[in-house]
Amino acid sequence: MNVVQATLSGALIGGLYALMAIGLSVTWGVLRVINLAHFGLIMVGAYLTLQLATSWGIDPLLTLLVTVPLMFVAGAALQWLFDRLALSEFNSLLVSFGLLIITIQVTHNVWTADFRRMGADVNPYATASLSVGRLVFPVTTLIAFGLAVVVVAGGHLVLRRTFAGRAMRAIAQDSAVAGAFGVDHRRLSLLLGGVVGATAALAGTVFSLSNALTPDTAYEWFGIVFAVVILGGIGEVVGTFAAGILVGVLSGVVSVVWSPATAPFVLFSAIILALLLRPRGLFTIGAAR
Amino acid sequence: MKKGGLGLLGAFLVLAALGQFAPELGLPSFHLILLGSVCFWIAQATSWNLLSGYSGYFSFGQAAYVGVGAYTTAVLTGRHGVGFFWTVPLAAVLCGLLALGIGAVAFRLGSLRGEIFALLTLAVPFILAAFARINRAVDGGQGTTLPLPEYPGFLGTFQQFQYLLALAVAAVAVGVAFLVQHTRAGSALTAIHDNEDVAEVLGVPTFRYKMLAIVASGVLGGVAGSVYALQIGFVTVESVFGLTIPLFVIVMGVLGGRSHWLGPVIGAVLIVTLQDRLSSYGLDEYNSIFLGAILAILVATAPAGLYARLRARPYAALAGFVVVFGVLYILNVWGEMLDWLVAGMLAAALVAIVLGTRRRPAAPAAAAPAHLPESTVEDVGAPPAIGPVLVECREVAKYYGGVHALEDVTLDIRAGELIGLVGPNGSGKTTLVNLLSGATRPTRGVIRIDGHDITRLPPHRIAHVGLARTYQIPKPFDSMTVRDNVATAIMFGRTPMSLRQARPLAERHLATVALDHLADARPGRLNLHQRQLLEMARAIASDPKVLLLDEALAGLNPAEVDNAVRVVRRIHASGITIVIVEHLLRVLNQLATRIVVLDRGSLLADGDPQTVMSDPAVVRAYLGKQAHV
Amino acid sequence: MRRRSLVAAAVATALVVTGCNRGSGDGGSSSNSAPIVVGSTLSLTGAFAATGQIHKIAGEEFVERLNAAGGLLGRKVEWKVLDDQSDQAKVSQLYERLISQDKVDLILGPYATPNILSAMAVAQRHGYILPQHSAVLAPQLTYECQFPAWSIGPTPNSFIPNQLFDALASLPTPPKTVAVLTSQSGSAAFVSDGFGSDKTGALSIAKQRGITVVADVHYPPTTTDWAPIATQVRDANPDLVINNGLGVDAVNILQAMKQLNYRPKQMFGLFPAPGPLLALGDLSEGMLSVSMFEPNKPILDKLGAQATEITTKFSEKAKAANLPYTVFETQATASWNAWEILTGAVKATGGTDQKKLCDSLHDKGVDTTFSGHLTFDPKSFNFWPTTQTLKQIQKGDWVVVWPADKAAAPLAGPRA
Repeated sequence: MNVVQATLSGALIGGLYALMAIGLSVTWGVLRVINLAHFGLIMVGAYLTLQLATSWGIDPLLTLLVTVPLMFVAGAALQWLFDRLALSEFNSLLVSFGLLIITIQVTHNVWTADFRRMGADVNPYATASLSVGRLVFPVTTLIAFGLAVVVVAGGHLVLRRTFAGRAMRAIAQDSAVAGAFGVDHRRLSLLLGGVVGATAALAGTVFSLSNALTPDTAYEWFGIVFAVVILGGIGEVVGTFAAGILVGVLSGVVSVVWSPATAPFVLFSAIILALLLRPRGLFTIGAAR
Repeated sequence: MKKGGLGLLGAFLVLAALGQFAPELGLPSFHLILLGSVCFWIAQATSWNLLSGYSGYFSFGQAAYVGVGAYTTAVLTGRHGVGFFWTVPLAAVLCGLLALGIGAVAFRLGSLRGEIFALLTLAVPFILAAFARINRAVDGGQGTTLPLPEYPGFLGTFQQFQYLLALAVAAVAVGVAFLVQHTRAGSALTAIHDNEDVAEVLGVPTFRYKMLAIVASGVLGGVAGSVYALQIGFVTVESVFGLTIPLFVIVMGVLGGRSHWLGPVIGAVLIVTLQDRLSSYGLDEYNSIFLGAILAILVATAPAGLYARLRARPYAALAGFVVVFGVLYILNVWGEMLDWLVAGMLAAALVAIVLGTRRRPAAPAAAAPAHLPESTVEDVGAPPAIGPVLVECREVAKYYGGVHALEDVTLDIRAGELIGLVGPNGSGKTTLVNLLSGATRPTRGVIRIDGHDITRLPPHRIAHVGLARTYQIPKPFDSMTVRDNVATAIMFGRTPMSLRQARPLAERHLATVALDHLADARPGRLNLHQRQLLEMARAIASDPKVLLLDEALAGLNPAEVDNAVRVVRRIHASGITIVIVEHLLRVLNQLATRIVVLDRGSLLADGDPQTVMSDPAVVRAYLGKQAHV
Repeated sequence: MRRRSLVAAAVATALVVTGCNRGSGDGGSSSNSAPIVVGSTLSLTGAFAATGQIHKIAGEEFVERLNAAGGLLGRKVEWKVLDDQSDQAKVSQLYERLISQDKVDLILGPYATPNILSAMAVAQRHGYILPQHSAVLAPQLTYECQFPAWSIGPTPNSFIPNQLFDALASLPTPPKTVAVLTSQSGSAAFVSDGFGSDKTGALSIAKQRGITVVADVHYPPTTTDWAPIATQVRDANPDLVINNGLGVDAVNILQAMKQLNYRPKQMFGLFPAPGPLLALGDLSEGMLSVSMFEPNKPILDKLGAQATEITTKFSEKAKAANLPYTVFETQATASWNAWEILTGAVKATGGTDQKKLCDSLHDKGVDTTFSGHLTFDPKSFNFWPTTQTLKQIQKGDWVVVWPADKAAAPLAGPRA
């Protein structure tokens, strides 16, 4: 029973991992930018939700109306910067890392390093859950999972079915050639950067629903989010989702059967194994890259 | 090299004397601690740079070495009463083994490059940290306090001792980096950094040099980690396996420059002292902001790092330093010694960056039109006589999944031949070239060169047996001059030699392809034709018996084709057997002594040009599709 | 080209070396009008910053009050506090600078055990006394002039579990089963597993007292997904949950359990961040933890007006600094004690001679506002007889409930 519950909870929390990882994966695969500043956007999104919800007393989910457009603009601005600088993949990682350090420090200066969390009065979601017999589904993870499904399905359809999506995949393959066929690389990448920023807002809000915030948390995401990106295959929307679930289930089950202390050990060993056996990702079907 | 080495030794002696006579010089012990910290970071950044900077295998796992080194020393001295000095070599061995393990796994798989390697190394400290936490027997779950080690009394106070120790480790690390850079290993790693496949094909045993770099990096990182344990006095999982260490070494490497041994040293000195000054003025809140901004701005504006800029304008930078430092020193209205020094260094860096950006080194004559010899009739010498069989392919097949790229090809190539390998797209020409050069291995069949079975040999061994190749799209080593591109091939040919010995020889090969006037240019400034010629010069520099030219004439204008043909003839006349893959049958007709036609992976025809060209099967398969006659 | 850069480098080095003699000539000279400078670092940024801020505000308030009352030995007191960025390596560097470069008269410990241990090594090298706020694991603190401001006695690993079990044993229905959830952090794990060769801890003491350990979970400090731990506790359904963890661990665990529609009957958290637990509302009601001081009305009344004034002022300052939890409690008390140890010794010896300060503290001890008279015995690493109490969340506030003579309210039993 424990294992069944752990599997289900793990799968659901995998939705949050996927939500965090998807933007990183897409910018990496399509725009060739390893955007560590994405973690900063998630962080700021989470703090904004907390701030708006606590000071205005509005439902934290409604703050998305503010954070999503804001993060869209921030994401697009970041992408504009990366376009302007015309960086190699690796240098984009370094530049965005610099930006991440700055973001975290600014977050720190604004909201202090103290643990911040929304009180039970403004955040009814933190402790709510649905139960089916002995099995329980926490509402926060259901929201995360639901949003992840929407983002993944939307992203998948857009990339596969629309002109913009095909154009983006063309950019991923060769931006010069794509340009020759009339694809406006700049505008599309701005759009994509914006959308990726919006997913950061979603991830941030969901994270703040069930967690206490402290600026340094952003670094703690590195391990698991990169694991999801790599396992899912860089630029693979559906693969990232599947990898998120896999990572969630794996660490959940190991924690219950063995011990939470072993979970990172098993998880990262599994990642090394996966990198060795399938370096392009476990779920690569051969889309963007 | 000698001067650099002496400079290094001198700097070490001066700094050591500074530590030894600190009380006499009135140096506050805090300066020793700060210098010790600078030395620690120099050692770490240098250790990281040995692999990640030189070879381009970017690692996020520096914390693994620091952690294992620090833990070895802390646990053994703190919990088991082992003497400090015994634990240092042990830390070196353990980290060396760890690096050996990572390298053995990662470098065996060609797919683990770039970001994938970086992420693999990112996972290693996570695993080690989890391991240390799970096994509470390691550190008792509480972290470990180090006892003060026994050390010879003449080293003075503990602060002096730990500084001298850190200095010694940093000196060893920088010395190793210096040596590596100035020996064949340095050239090999640069070649790997620029293009690993090409390096391997030119005879560089890439696996061996990567292992050398990673093990050296691991050992140095471990030793410095073990001294670090002494510097912090109390070791926990969080303090040594965290992300701070890889992040700092990366920032230092990027700031200083990754291709030169001095780069990480400059980066470490600047970052550590700047951080210290910021904190002394209570600007810690902005410390990370400064650091992040430095990283972002520098990567965007000066990705090659400070060293290159300083080297371009050493006097201007020195003037910047002297002026700022001198003015502050004389006025003595603000700050103290360290402030002035850091301000001076920042000024120097700023001057170097600004001026270095403006004045590019004078552009060599590369932009000039392709230099083609005037005379069209040139005596290139008689083609060599046809000798015994040099290359044998026996029923060679290559399948990619269900695709049969090559099906049971049997082919003999005799010494002195110039063979034209033709066939429509997808007929298996490039597959055959890749099999011969060892880039891929056949599904079955045997390939022998000069009597040696090369079927299972790695490419660099095949190169040493006597095979060289060029690429359809030229792949020069972009960070080296044209001369050093060729010299690298000579250094790792059948007779190993040093860069110094190889350079004059390289000029000869450049003359053969008429590129000698561009010896000092960077490949980025060459046009396509010149790059093709460079490919050829580099290939013949490894002194091959057989040369594979993969579409060496593609994309050239008629005059350039004529020139290239002349070069090929000249190479052939020098006694090298040539296999040339080409679409231009007109050219092959007059160039080749024999033509081999592949179609859908099988050998379709083989014989002298006239016979083959009139073979109806060839006409149907080939000429029907391609109109290049 | 190369020679030029070498020459440039050589000139620069020469300048540096010759220049090193100069600078930092002033400082250190202490005339009677000059302020007494106290140096310390605190983690104002980084992982420990949440608590580091509390110590900063408490320290500032202390210095303000001290100077308002005429300072120390007739001189003003100046506090030079540097940010160690929660980085141990920085701590030793900064203390070295405070002592050897800035030549401060006195030093005070940083926050968090690893940092304190790093600072202690420097203090020992220079023979400075080191009053410190929060390192409680006595055997680690081997320097004889280190003075703890927070004491859980010489063996905290057995004191804490024993105190907890004693308190619960006083209830009509003492716990028969316990789940122990341990963070694998050096600052918490010793309460479950013991320290070094002394394996006494919550796990062994529970067994010894006939309480069955139905779940023993160790989790890494980096844990993000708490559902698996909550599931295990739910299925074991113990009478008591002991969480030997830090920060928001207890909050996360409570919330994850609530999401499984489970509420522990009784729960103890070792060193939780106090604010976030209260923010959980009814969910955390009845939660137990350790405390050195809570500004509960009966306790303040006993201590007098000065204590009330200090705690009120602190809360105002904390609010102004935008801290989410503004109550003057254990950490702030530890800070206050450390300052009183330092200044008390200076007053007693009439100077800042480190050797005399150290001896005076060993001989005479010191008086504190919140923890009474403290005595320091080098045999027990200067850890004074503990005054630590248990606190409990009652009606949305932390209240001291044990031992009975120090309690502000009776201990509440498990939920029905």
